[in-house]
Amino acid sequence: MEPLIGMGVLALIGVAATIAGASEDLESDVGSQSNPNSQVQLAPQMMFPHRIYNKAVSGEPPSNALMCSVGAAVATVLISEFTLSPLFALVLGSLIAACVHGTFAVTATMGRCASQRRFKQPVYLDMIRSHTPVIMGYAFITTFCVLVVSYLMTVVLGHPFPLTMLAFIWGITVGAIGSSTGDVHYGAEREFQQFEFGSGLNASNSGNIVRYAESGLRDGYDNSWFCAKFGGPVTGIAFGMTVFLGSWVTTVFDPAVSITRGWLSVVAGVVIVLILIIWNWKIEVEARNAFGPYKEDKSEEASA
Amino acid sequence: MIDALMANITWMIFIVIGGVLISWSVHFVPVGGAPAAMAQATGIGTGTVQLAAGAGLTGLVSAGFMMNVTKDLPLILASGAVGAMIMIAVTMIVGTWVYVYGVGCVPSSAKVKVDPITKYRQDLYVSQGTEGHGLPTVSFVSGVIGGLLGGIGGALVYYSLIEVGVTAGLAASASSSVTGNELVGIAAMFAIGIFFVNAVIPSYNIGGTIEGFHDPKWKKWPKAVISSFVATIFCAIVAVIAISQLGVI
Repeated sequence: MEPLIGMGVLALIGVAATIAGASEDLESDVGSQSNPNSQVQLAPQMMFPHRIYNKAVSGEPPSNALMCSVGAAVATVLISEFTLSPLFALVLGSLIAACVHGTFAVTATMGRCASQRRFKQPVYLDMIRSHTPVIMGYAFITTFCVLVVSYLMTVVLGHPFPLTMLAFIWGITVGAIGSSTGDVHYGAEREFQQFEFGSGLNASNSGNIVRYAESGLRDGYDNSWFCAKFGGPVTGIAFGMTVFLGSWVTTVFDPAVSITRGWLSVVAGVVIVLILIIWNWKIEVEARNAFGPYKEDKSEEASA
Repeated sequence: MIDALMANITWMIFIVIGGVLISWSVHFVPVGGAPAAMAQATGIGTGTVQLAAGAGLTGLVSAGFMMNVTKDLPLILASGAVGAMIMIAVTMIVGTWVYVYGVGCVPSSAKVKVDPITKYRQDLYVSQGTEGHGLPTVSFVSGVIGGLLGGIGGALVYYSLIEVGVTAGLAASASSSVTGNELVGIAAMFAIGIFFVNAVIPSYNIGGTIEGFHDPKWKKWPKAVISSFVATIFCAIVAVIAISQLGVI
């Protein structure tokens, strides 16, 4: 393939992956999924009943992998057996995946809230009715973008994996990234805003999540509004970077041309990783100097 | 059936080595589980299996792409390792952005007093009531090593399974269609399965959180590696029989 067309396709893949990452994180914020949901789950047991959607279908990677695989399987059947236009097939596949996800979300939140009846946790039906379409909407965007990435990789860049397999893998990856990056903003900051900024979460405050919003009771909308300012976009950047950089090294140094090019792509990848290690170290040093106050050094005091 | 196993004994050994590498790699990945998602423990705020699988499978995508254009085993393994390293390094750097700029925590470890790489004091920076937070340099480097080993392991398993299929008379050429090639599909499926088996076994050792190779829990790796060795032998037998029978039909 022409290198320029390869770069263009790669740019499109990167953009789609960025959107997928951002919407994946916001989907898990509005519905409260993955690790931060352990606090939402714990809150009623600590006598803090709340009005936050409590879905946690499963860990984020498996739930996104399921969504993307369902969408990709439907799209594959429509493309290969019914010779539909790929764009239409991908949209229809994503729509079905979003419906499947919506079903899981409703059953998960109803089951979880109902099981906490003894802790006086209400089941807010109006909240379920208003939040589920939003969850499905985000799920649709995530699935569609992951399917676009997978489709372009399979058909245009000539990746040997079938569409469903690639969608499954990218679903696992987008879930793993969303759960490791954006969810921290929701779990460590948004859920515990009443405690001092930067203090982490003291174990004794577990379950004491913020339950009141600027007006009324806090719900998933408030959480996604807050996380859309930082957690969501950075998740998008993370997934976009992963997909883009992973393919970029082999597009610039095409291993099909010669083995030497292939090894150069490996070197380029290692250089990227080294840069990231140094960047992390710089941020660590900068944060140590900028933040504080910290604990006193008792050993130094004793020696003085 | 026995013939098929004997004919592919080299590839089975490679599969087992790959599985053992995956199992070992998981011990390097600094995962903090649910506590880390609340800035209550050092590491990345997600589960062991999920992050290791995310990184390893990204490596598998890179290795699969590389295998499409070359048959050079070291290059395929290296490309798998690079794919996994990039994924995990990107995840960790963005995780650091969130911890530092979004949550306001200083990266610090509660398991060691000084970072073995940078020699910075850690205990003073750990917030009260937490087990550390964020990703200090040693955890970051450890995670990259984990990605490297996991990527190599996954790529080795995938390469061996493809070779088993080629020995059985199947073709592994790319088809540029959405359904893909049947051998590639089934080899990738088994490779993912073997990856998950070997990512789950070490999580019993890790028990939710590990900070990297400086964590005392890391020393328990031989137990997981031996268990993975046994488990992967069974996986390899099933995978090799299934793929070689595909060639017979």
